[in-house]
Amino acid sequence: MTPQLLEQLPESNSHSPRDAAPAPRLAQIDRRGLLIGAGVVAAGAIGYPLVASAFAAESPVFLARNQRYDSSLERTIRDGLLATRVDLAALGGRRVLLKPNLVEPSRARPQMTTHPAVVVAAAEVFRRYGATVTVGEGPGHVRDTQMALYESSVGAALEDAGVEFADLNYEDVAWTHNAGRASPLAGFWLPQSVATADLIVSLPKLKTHHWVGMTAAMKNLYGVLPGIQYGWPKNVLHHAGIPQTVFDINASLPRTIAIVDGIICMEGDGPILGSAKAMGLIAIGAPVAVDATCARIIGLQPKKIEYLELGRRLGPIDERHIPQRGEAWRELASPFQIVEVPHLQRLRRKDAMLTS
Amino acid sequence: MKYLDYIVDALAREAAWRYQPRSEPASEPTALVALALAAYGRDADAERARAWLAAAQNADGSVGVRAADHTPGWPTPLALLAWTLHDSPKSLESPSASDSPDYADCCRRATQWMLATVGESSPRQEYTGHDTSLTGWPWVVGTHSWVEPTAMSLLALRAVGLGKHARAREAATLLQDRLLDRGGCNYGNTVVLDQQLLPHVQPTGLALLALSGKEPATPLVAAALDYLAAELGPMTTAASLAWGLLGLAAFDRWPDAADSWLSAAAARAKRRGASHEMALLALAGLKQRSPLVHLNRQIA
Repeated sequence: MTPQLLEQLPESNSHSPRDAAPAPRLAQIDRRGLLIGAGVVAAGAIGYPLVASAFAAESPVFLARNQRYDSSLERTIRDGLLATRVDLAALGGRRVLLKPNLVEPSRARPQMTTHPAVVVAAAEVFRRYGATVTVGEGPGHVRDTQMALYESSVGAALEDAGVEFADLNYEDVAWTHNAGRASPLAGFWLPQSVATADLIVSLPKLKTHHWVGMTAAMKNLYGVLPGIQYGWPKNVLHHAGIPQTVFDINASLPRTIAIVDGIICMEGDGPILGSAKAMGLIAIGAPVAVDATCARIIGLQPKKIEYLELGRRLGPIDERHIPQRGEAWRELASPFQIVEVPHLQRLRRKDAMLTS
Repeated sequence: MKYLDYIVDALAREAAWRYQPRSEPASEPTALVALALAAYGRDADAERARAWLAAAQNADGSVGVRAADHTPGWPTPLALLAWTLHDSPKSLESPSASDSPDYADCCRRATQWMLATVGESSPRQEYTGHDTSLTGWPWVVGTHSWVEPTAMSLLALRAVGLGKHARAREAATLLQDRLLDRGGCNYGNTVVLDQQLLPHVQPTGLALLALSGKEPATPLVAAALDYLAAELGPMTTAASLAWGLLGLAAFDRWPDAADSWLSAAAARAKRRGASHEMALLALAGLKQRSPLVHLNRQIA
């Protein structure tokens, strides 16, 4: 159609696509990027130190054992957040985005995705402190997000609980610079629910991962990037280096914390085809410290997991700098089966003996 | 069908088409709506959608995800289909594919962009089952070839009369290669570390649609058809249901209860205000008369 024809259309129907672009939010996003980069300085700058600085010398991790999906998860999560210095009282009126792992849900394989009970319990905790809670996910392997919500049962649980869902694969986006720069990517497109969140809560399932060893809090945040910009799978990130982009995304997001669903986990050929492993765990804290602790629990060396080694720039992975709250990880350690390939076996802790 | 009327009416009433009610207009929903409205004889509204896509086309011929986006260009084949297939079912017996004077230049530039765009390939790899040396289309330039963009591109090449082009032939080979022994396909991986991955409905439907034509169904295609027939049901969500039914329709298979499934899915999609889902359901509701299905029959 020619420009002349466009002009002849009724005004209500004349959405010229070039005019339809949103007002740039670059300034806002850049500010957030700076806030992330500046860590605790940024938190102070907006007047509420929601979470302890990721750059602090110590980063506490809370572990709870004997957890069940039909038990009082809300209390466990609240206690864990308070124990890891999250200022819940400061969340009143703030936007909290909960990011579960719904990579490729299948009712036959519930160990693949974050259990709906954990998602709803976390939402309730933040809502009780006055936060505006949204659950958001951009499933990495499926274009039909409604299918992912149905197969994971998370959609029905959110509807019952009255919690809003944001489809991060298809939302409008804004650009933020890459604050990590471990990969060659200059920046990231972030969905508006991510870009405008005051706090992002990674809600992963604890799983082995057949390329990078383990997926938990940090890797789960791949799912905040929109498929319409990165593809299904988010192959742009793979080509730029999986460990590097895991780190870069974590470095570039607004403030993040993690609540790990380690109740029924996945071992073996994760993150899709592995077997269920009952652990009964909930782990809470900053993503880097939580992942380092989870790695130890499942029998891997954090420093051998490349994105965790990069993650040292965001927070500690050494055990001596991760104060334990709740249970001590050594009492909970139970090495996971991992695929018998060299790039994974080299990650194994030497003292980690398989018992199953 | 009543549900078809109300979703087509709803699509025709929209000023622009988007993934979510409050989001920006986007190319994929607009292209699917253009196809659906044209197929239902809503010519003026379909023309608005085609015009939107033309205005969104970049100088290099690609069509981005949204109007202001230069990359990625994966919606380009969908726009090409929208510009090319604009006959209602009444006139499908004498289709006029690629003869639209209004969009001839858009089609030419989009086709050139598509033919110049390749997914990254590599020698076959130790840990992956599919043939990584085959070239199809990526979601994003500079990355690997995947099932859905390759299937969309194959359909678009057929629509502009390039169904026998070397790229189209290789695309068909790639899609066959990505089908799983167990039936169906996923986004585009088959076996990783000796384990066969899981099939998904949406890419399976799209791949079958693209693979339909005069070639006899291979055992892998037959297995994919059986997978879809077993998987679709009343709770199948809109986009998966629509692509799944289109894939079955392309091989003259249609579940007896499909209309009731479509009706239920249409009600859900309308509540969400998702243009692309409603358009897909409308296209699926035409069964074998859907322009996407008819396209391949015409070639055959």
